[in-house]
Amino acid sequence: MSLQVEKLCWGHPVPGGGRRELFRNFDFSSANGEFTVVIGSNGSGKSTFLNLLAGTLRSDSGSIRLDDQPLQRLADHRRARRIGRVMQNPLEGTCPGLTIAENLRLAEGRRRSVIGWYGLRGIHPNRSDRRRYRELLELLGLPLADRIDTLVGQLSGGQRQTISLVMATLGNPQLLLLDEHTAALDPKAEAMVMALTDRLVHQLGTTTLMVTHSLSQALRYGDRLMMLHEGQLLGDWNAQQRQHLTPDALREMYGAARVRQTD
Amino acid sequence: MLSLWLGAYDQGLAYASLALGTYLTLRVLNFADLTVDGSFALGGGTAAVLITQGVPIPLALLAALVLGSLAGMVTALIHTKLGVNDLFAGILTTTGLYTVTLRLMGRSNIPITDLNPVVNWPDFGQGDDGRWALALTLVMLGIIGLISLVLATDFGLALRAIGNNPTMARANAIPQGLGLTLGIAAANALVALAGAMVAMYQGFADVTMGIGSLILGLGMVIIGESVLRPRSVAKALLAVVVGAILFRLLIAVALQLGLEPVDLKLTTAVLLLVAMSLGHLKLPGVNAHSHAGEDEAPTTPQEAVESGEKAVAGGPATPGGQP
Repeated sequence: MSLQVEKLCWGHPVPGGGRRELFRNFDFSSANGEFTVVIGSNGSGKSTFLNLLAGTLRSDSGSIRLDDQPLQRLADHRRARRIGRVMQNPLEGTCPGLTIAENLRLAEGRRRSVIGWYGLRGIHPNRSDRRRYRELLELLGLPLADRIDTLVGQLSGGQRQTISLVMATLGNPQLLLLDEHTAALDPKAEAMVMALTDRLVHQLGTTTLMVTHSLSQALRYGDRLMMLHEGQLLGDWNAQQRQHLTPDALREMYGAARVRQTD
Repeated sequence: MLSLWLGAYDQGLAYASLALGTYLTLRVLNFADLTVDGSFALGGGTAAVLITQGVPIPLALLAALVLGSLAGMVTALIHTKLGVNDLFAGILTTTGLYTVTLRLMGRSNIPITDLNPVVNWPDFGQGDDGRWALALTLVMLGIIGLISLVLATDFGLALRAIGNNPTMARANAIPQGLGLTLGIAAANALVALAGAMVAMYQGFADVTMGIGSLILGLGMVIIGESVLRPRSVAKALLAVVVGAILFRLLIAVALQLGLEPVDLKLTTAVLLLVAMSLGHLKLPGVNAHSHAGEDEAPTTPQEAVESGEKAVAGGPATPGGQP
């Protein structure tokens, strides 16, 4: 699904009333299946942009459309049905008190009206659900396939984020939003999660936006690199143009002092 | 002596659906619902009014269930639609329910002593207490079975997710307002049923009978969980019912040892405090401490739940595992 953002406006609420504008008439579009990496210093509006797309923040004006269908008029849960999200904190994307299979079942049911009669049809996750999830995790080469009845709260941060990622891609989302989803992980777990991200995004062909502070990730992954600064587009490169960029050049562009060096 | 234990067993079972309702709101939905104080009396009052007017007992219980669920729905809508804090939403409803129950009853106390609904049941040589024990055991087994089944469906899974991690539930397209409304309505239906059964068992309904119900239900939940340490939803429901029976047994023992009925509420509060501090269980807003940021993997479901609570605003959640 293609994503079109037009004349998007949003400002931080400030004490005493009023708003401090961050996005003013921001335009952005992404082709179907495009994997865009978004970088920028703290406060540049990267995560805010993802939150505006997901609907956890409401825009002041402007339009957000997926394949020409406006998202802003949809109720929160209807909007969430179309969007897969992985958040920075591994604890936010999963239910620690539920098992891996139960978490996957919830994600798989994202398109169904589970709060209602439909949700009362049958016991889930049942044996066939479990087999399907085991096969899925095996197919993805994850060592969690034999632990689907383990509580997610007993997994490491990297494993939880892996499950979050698999969950976000279940149920055919039309848009995938990854908000610094490897920032809280150690280098080994980060490499594992990024390899899986790259594989899933390209296999599924989902339009994806990934926010990161890691310049090595920015220069390695995705079809397009975009740099934000105070709600403005500071740079926009396709994969070919990106080849000529270096981490130093990027740092220079938005100030080395404001880059959190993670590489 | 046996009749004392059997009486406590019966009372425990009569109160058990109060404990189940408390479990649903506090543990599954992570919602501190004070409506139970009002809906317990509402259930008792409804049953008393209808039974004394000759309405068949099953219909009277059904009416209690319906009115209880409506009370829960009011609290949930105040919370979800008007944005009122869960505690205040419950207190508002409970305050209003006092008048509703009093209007419904027409007076503050209605005796229903002249009617015994289990008169034709086998008594195992124990008289009415034996008959009540059989009837209440069957009813509670049915209720536990039904709730276990519902919580094992996608619907139940979604309710557990809402209580366990609202951020995740939102991201996975679970309509939280609707989920909370239905869950809290179901919990209060159970509480009203408990009110009706207690009124029938003790032979009267009183407009003040609901005072302290939330704490009573909470005590039963905590005692059951502390004793049985359940690791699945079905076992947790069973533990809650066992907790209700043990709680009533403790009260019976205290009375037997010379405690005056007037001191019961204080005893209940002290018992609950002891259970909470001994079990070191986390409750919404009570003796909470954050585990967020600890790296080591938790070893028990309870720890697992607690370790993942950064996004859950400090409350415990459902035991995991397969129902």
